[in-house]
Amino acid sequence: MIQFEGVSRSYGDTLAVRHLDLQIESGELFALLGHNGAGKTTTIKMMVGLLRPEAGRVLIDGRDVVTQVREATSRIGYVPDEPYLYDKLSGREFLYFVAEMHGLSRKDATVAIDREIERFGLGRFADELSESYSHGMKQRTVFAAALLHDPPVLVVDEPLVGLDPHSIRLVKDLLHERAQSGTSIFMSTHTLTAAEEIADRIGVMQRGELIFLGTIDELRHEYHAEGKSLESVYLSISGGAVGGATVDEVAQEEAVAHPTASDESP
Amino acid sequence: MTESTATPAEATRVVGDSRYEAALFRRLRTTETAAHLRQLMATARLRTLLVIGLSLFFWCGLFALFFVGFNFLKEHVAQPGELYHAKTVEFVFHLFFASLNVMLIFSSGIILYGGLFSSAETRYLLTTPAREERVVLHKFQEATLFSSWGFFLLASPLTLAYGISVDAPWHYYVLIAPLIISFVYIPCVIGALCCLLLIYKLAHVRMTVVVIVAGLSMFAAGAAIWDTVGIEREEIFEQKFFSDTIRKFSFTREEWLPSSWLSDGLIDAAQPRPRLPGPLRHTPVIRALLSLGLLVSNALMGRLVLTAVAKRCFRTAFSQLECRPRRPRRAGAVWVDRVAAALLTPFPPQVRLLLLKDWRLLRRDPVQWSQFLIFFGLLGLYFLNVDQFTVTAGDINHATWVNLVSFLNLAVVGLILSTFTTRFIYPMLSLEGRRFWVLGLMPVSRETIVWSKFVFAALGSWMPCAVLILVSDLMLRVPALVVGIHQLTTVLLCVGLAALAVGLGATMPNFRETSPSKIAAGFGGTLNLVLSAVYIIVVVSLTALPCHFKLIAGSSSLTTEFLNPDYLDFWLIVGAGLAVAVGVVATVVPLYRGVKAFNRLEFC
Repeated sequence: MIQFEGVSRSYGDTLAVRHLDLQIESGELFALLGHNGAGKTTTIKMMVGLLRPEAGRVLIDGRDVVTQVREATSRIGYVPDEPYLYDKLSGREFLYFVAEMHGLSRKDATVAIDREIERFGLGRFADELSESYSHGMKQRTVFAAALLHDPPVLVVDEPLVGLDPHSIRLVKDLLHERAQSGTSIFMSTHTLTAAEEIADRIGVMQRGELIFLGTIDELRHEYHAEGKSLESVYLSISGGAVGGATVDEVAQEEAVAHPTASDESP
Repeated sequence: MTESTATPAEATRVVGDSRYEAALFRRLRTTETAAHLRQLMATARLRTLLVIGLSLFFWCGLFALFFVGFNFLKEHVAQPGELYHAKTVEFVFHLFFASLNVMLIFSSGIILYGGLFSSAETRYLLTTPAREERVVLHKFQEATLFSSWGFFLLASPLTLAYGISVDAPWHYYVLIAPLIISFVYIPCVIGALCCLLLIYKLAHVRMTVVVIVAGLSMFAAGAAIWDTVGIEREEIFEQKFFSDTIRKFSFTREEWLPSSWLSDGLIDAAQPRPRLPGPLRHTPVIRALLSLGLLVSNALMGRLVLTAVAKRCFRTAFSQLECRPRRPRRAGAVWVDRVAAALLTPFPPQVRLLLLKDWRLLRRDPVQWSQFLIFFGLLGLYFLNVDQFTVTAGDINHATWVNLVSFLNLAVVGLILSTFTTRFIYPMLSLEGRRFWVLGLMPVSRETIVWSKFVFAALGSWMPCAVLILVSDLMLRVPALVVGIHQLTTVLLCVGLAALAVGLGATMPNFRETSPSKIAAGFGGTLNLVLSAVYIIVVVSLTALPCHFKLIAGSSSLTTEFLNPDYLDFWLIVGAGLAVAVGVVATVVPLYRGVKAFNRLEFC
């Protein structure tokens, strides 16, 4: 289970994430949508321990990612948008490093690695140095690494970018299957059709704020867009605002939303 | 979730064993290094052997230099065991190691900053259950190695030469490695701590702090050097000068400095066993061992402190730096572009556009122009101060030296230029190939692209090189004839080196690699460097030798047929003509082959 409790994070005077309250249950596949710079990647970075929230806290299976960072990260499988592999390690060597880093014995690691190599079709190139891999091959290897320790939480940032149709199908099926087996999945994506197809719930982020949270049917209902595609609903609600909001802009927005008594007086 | 082999709690517990984690990282490093070495020997054997060979050559040169220096001291100043010998060696060792102490602090801090805060590996490792301190120690190992290899290259020939010159006992040679390694660790730890704490506390003003500290250090070093060498010439090497200099640099012998422990340890270890029995702790070998103990204990303490600070600060520092306010860089200073555009008016419009684009990329990339500025700036400083040689009419020695130094200066400028053309010009077409969707779809012929790179490189390098050589000639007060020959040679060097780099870059492009330094480090880059060096030697020799004989003839009282002025003028013209011919061949052939290869190229 993933919990965000009043989480905020800024970059200088730009508020990247504002008062995020969110809970993703075990077995739920959650998709976070939003423009470039809306705050999705900052949210993910806080979840995996790369950034620290300025306010609030993030809990992974009940472990705070700031005070219990190692316990939290050992429960996460993370697939970043730009996969990192060691150029001078083969895919198999990298998978062994990750498996053993997560505490698997050599024997268990071998079993888990063989399983993921089989699942992601890495067999042909698992023993080549990863510097020769294409983007798709790297992405598949990172997926395999993220699943080696069978994490209860899976965080995927733009999982479908650069993949061929076969790999896209593989990833969608995999996410669906993992969610059904009880894994909490947090996915950030611009691929709206994929979100529509596999997500249990979606969140729409705009300028650091979660402006919608619910199922796709609830989204259509809320915006009176029954029968429309997720793409058209999303475009109609998210507008053209790109990037985070500055402190001044937030103050102005709050002044409009909650006018003070003096503002209201004639 | 049924496939689980270790629960997250178990996993954290297992990885919680720091020895297990350390072993894992050690295995990662070993596997990576082995793969790298295997690959180097399989695909870049020439480059690897060249690097090893040149390093050995450099090491032997340094060893010879130090050995001659220590022998000079022994034969002309004082014998080992005498006061002046001891004082001089003590001065040299303390000054040398104290300077490197400061440099190691800076270099390890800067390298660690890159490794910890802008590396994809660290970003990845922080998302794993690896402990922060382990990640820091992992990157610290790299920083220590990269920052100290130069130190080992300098310190090992120095200490060996000293040992041989004073006929040191066997245990001196045994103690060299542990003393040096334990010393290196201390400034590297200090650099690492400064880096971590600076980002932890002052992430937003880190550059300002580094610039101020570096500036103050350079100012202090510059003032100390100026104070020492800026005295009257007749006083140099007098006894008073010697005593004053030792006194001025007495701060390098402060007992709290790790460099002092190392220097004392080495000097003590090299002492012969005393003839008269005395207290054990006063025997040289025991004193050397005590220095070693001091170094090792401080190095270990430093490691403990670094581990504790890393545990406490690293993740917060990383997060702070990631979230620092970023000001977008605006494409300013357009007047510079306007000047460049005006200067490039004579070129065809398409070439002009390509040249302007490359000019903008160059001026907005500090990595390129700052290196250019540092090396050429240092050369300029040296040239401005090279006024020690004043030509005295009829003095053959002076004429020989002035001519020799002036042509050596020319060769040095050429060699430095060749490293720049290899590092920055050679990869240009490879990098352009990665963006070929831009240029490839424009109505520009591939030939124009290659030519534009050549013009950019030749023009861009000619101006600073010509000015530098002119400064050198003016300071050396060489005759007008030599100035003219030097300027001709400079043009030949710039045009030839640019053509070699562009031609080879077009013939052997590497579209898989995104990093220009890695492209330059490949086979083509190495070949370019070697061919450039050969070209420089040939061209400079062809112009320098006839010129040299002509100057000797003018200053010598010898009257042989060989030194007849008419005969020498002929050789001067032949030499210059041959140099021009070599320059034309070195320009036309690589460019012709480059254009041909680039036209045939498929961008896959």
